[in-house]
Amino acid sequence: MANRLLMVKADGSVLVHSDGGSYKPLNWMSPPCWLIEDPDIWTVQNKAGEKIVITIDEVMHDSKHELGVDPGLQKDGVEAHLQELLAEHVTTLGEGWTLVRREYPTAIGPVDLMCRDAAGGSVAVEIKRRGEIDGVEQLTRYLELLNRDPRLAPVKGVFAAQQIKLQARTLAEDRGIRCVVLDYDALRGTDSNEFRLF
Amino acid sequence: MKIRVERDGLADAVAWVARSLPSRPPVPVLGGVLLDAGAEDGSGEALTVSGFDYEVSAQCGVPATIADGGKALVSGRLLADITKALPNHPVEIAVDGSRMTISCGSARFSLPTMPVEDYPQLPSMPQLAGELPGEIFGEAVAQVAVAAGKDDTLPMLTGVRLEIGEGKVTLVATDRFRLAMREFPWEPNESLGEVAVLVPAKTLNDSAKTLGASGAKIELSLAANDGLLGLSGTGRRTTTRLLDADFPKYRQLLPTEHSAAAIIEVDALVQAIKRVSLVAERGTQVRLEFVDSSLRLSAGGDDEGSAEEELPVDYTGDAVTIAFNPTYLLEGLQAVRTPRAHLSFTTPSRPALLKPVDEDGNVAPGYLYLLMPVRLPG
Repeated sequence: MANRLLMVKADGSVLVHSDGGSYKPLNWMSPPCWLIEDPDIWTVQNKAGEKIVITIDEVMHDSKHELGVDPGLQKDGVEAHLQELLAEHVTTLGEGWTLVRREYPTAIGPVDLMCRDAAGGSVAVEIKRRGEIDGVEQLTRYLELLNRDPRLAPVKGVFAAQQIKLQARTLAEDRGIRCVVLDYDALRGTDSNEFRLF
Repeated sequence: MKIRVERDGLADAVAWVARSLPSRPPVPVLGGVLLDAGAEDGSGEALTVSGFDYEVSAQCGVPATIADGGKALVSGRLLADITKALPNHPVEIAVDGSRMTISCGSARFSLPTMPVEDYPQLPSMPQLAGELPGEIFGEAVAQVAVAAGKDDTLPMLTGVRLEIGEGKVTLVATDRFRLAMREFPWEPNESLGEVAVLVPAKTLNDSAKTLGASGAKIELSLAANDGLLGLSGTGRRTTTRLLDADFPKYRQLLPTEHSAAAIIEVDALVQAIKRVSLVAERGTQVRLEFVDSSLRLSAGGDDEGSAEEELPVDYTGDAVTIAFNPTYLLEGLQAVRTPRAHLSFTTPSRPALLKPVDEDGNVAPGYLYLLMPVRLPG
């Protein structure tokens, strides 16, 4: 008998992995399905009557972990790329807007973008993939600090994200922060407005 | 193997061969340099130092006293660092079993060797295309390679296009923001015919610089069908793989007319650009405002501070403000290699042309640097 990793997920799925084949299990059953645990033999069955029968000779390790509520996958790189794209196409935020710089330094960390609106007023932009309350709080802290700088004040805030939670939007708008939903693919598709030879 | 060799010659040879070696070779032997004492070709008392990573090969001969011939392969970076640091005394190299001993003055090193039989055969030199004057070629390559792209997402832009034909050599490179082109008369061997190849810019620039430095002739060899270019001279030879990519149709980019032109003092302008661009955040832009006989440079804005400077200039045309990336403009001005340069353009959104100017104030043929302006604010 071969050594195998058996994985039972909270959604009921059962997967049989070997020490290879990358992310792909050797065999599996997708939910909805039922696992009947008898001594030395597991039977996984779905409503179509299909079965996986697993014979267990020896248990080398047995453990159970609750992963809790799934916070969603945060992929690195997208946020940085959003910042880069938005910096290139700062007029997405408003006609006549100009970029002062990316990663504008403050004592408590850099603001994603510092811009000027069409009237020349300073605007601090915080960019997130998913706009949640903590992002609004972060931007609020930056704004408070930036507004102490007489060369910049008054500084307005823009909270830009691919999707913004209703609570985050309510909080932001209550604090006078504008919310902008970004379309990553559209930004990516837009050609840079730099002059080029060809 | 047991040999004695002069320290300077050895250090130069090893440094030159090791410069093109990969820092993290996929196979360890490719990070090595091969020392071959008493090559079988009967050239006698010489040590040959070679390196090859399947892209670039380099080989260099050093006079040596050979007590016992043989070959040995050792880490190139390490050997380069060691030879550079050795005191100025004759160097004795001996290989015993799997270790190489290097003794020089009172210093002694012992290095592990790698199996010589695992080392790839260096490509042989392709067919000789002709001899080039080293200094001219080195300068031409440097003038053009500056415009090549550094980022290899578009491989065709990381190369220098080398065209041979009609009694001249043409070198061109572009990164889509600027384009540099140099031509000089040259007659290759009759058998060559008209050829155009794309050579990796960095490698070509390194090789042309070192081979052309002594003012010697450089031998150019080319096997366009096998994708190989060779350069040799003064006991050194190097080959590089050609890039297999289509170079953009650049001739159509060259402007045929202009509506405004200025003759500028290169050095004064270079100094002024360096000063005003201090306030141009990460090389954003430097603006050039031409009015009558003055050029006003400015950079920056209200946020990061601003700078301006005025220079006298010999200008014909209507008043124009045109903005450039300061780095690209500086590189162009420095590539012109004459005390004065001719800058011509039409509108602030069309490419500007920079050309060298001879002592009589006329535009000198042979070189051009085409530079795209950047968008003016507002």
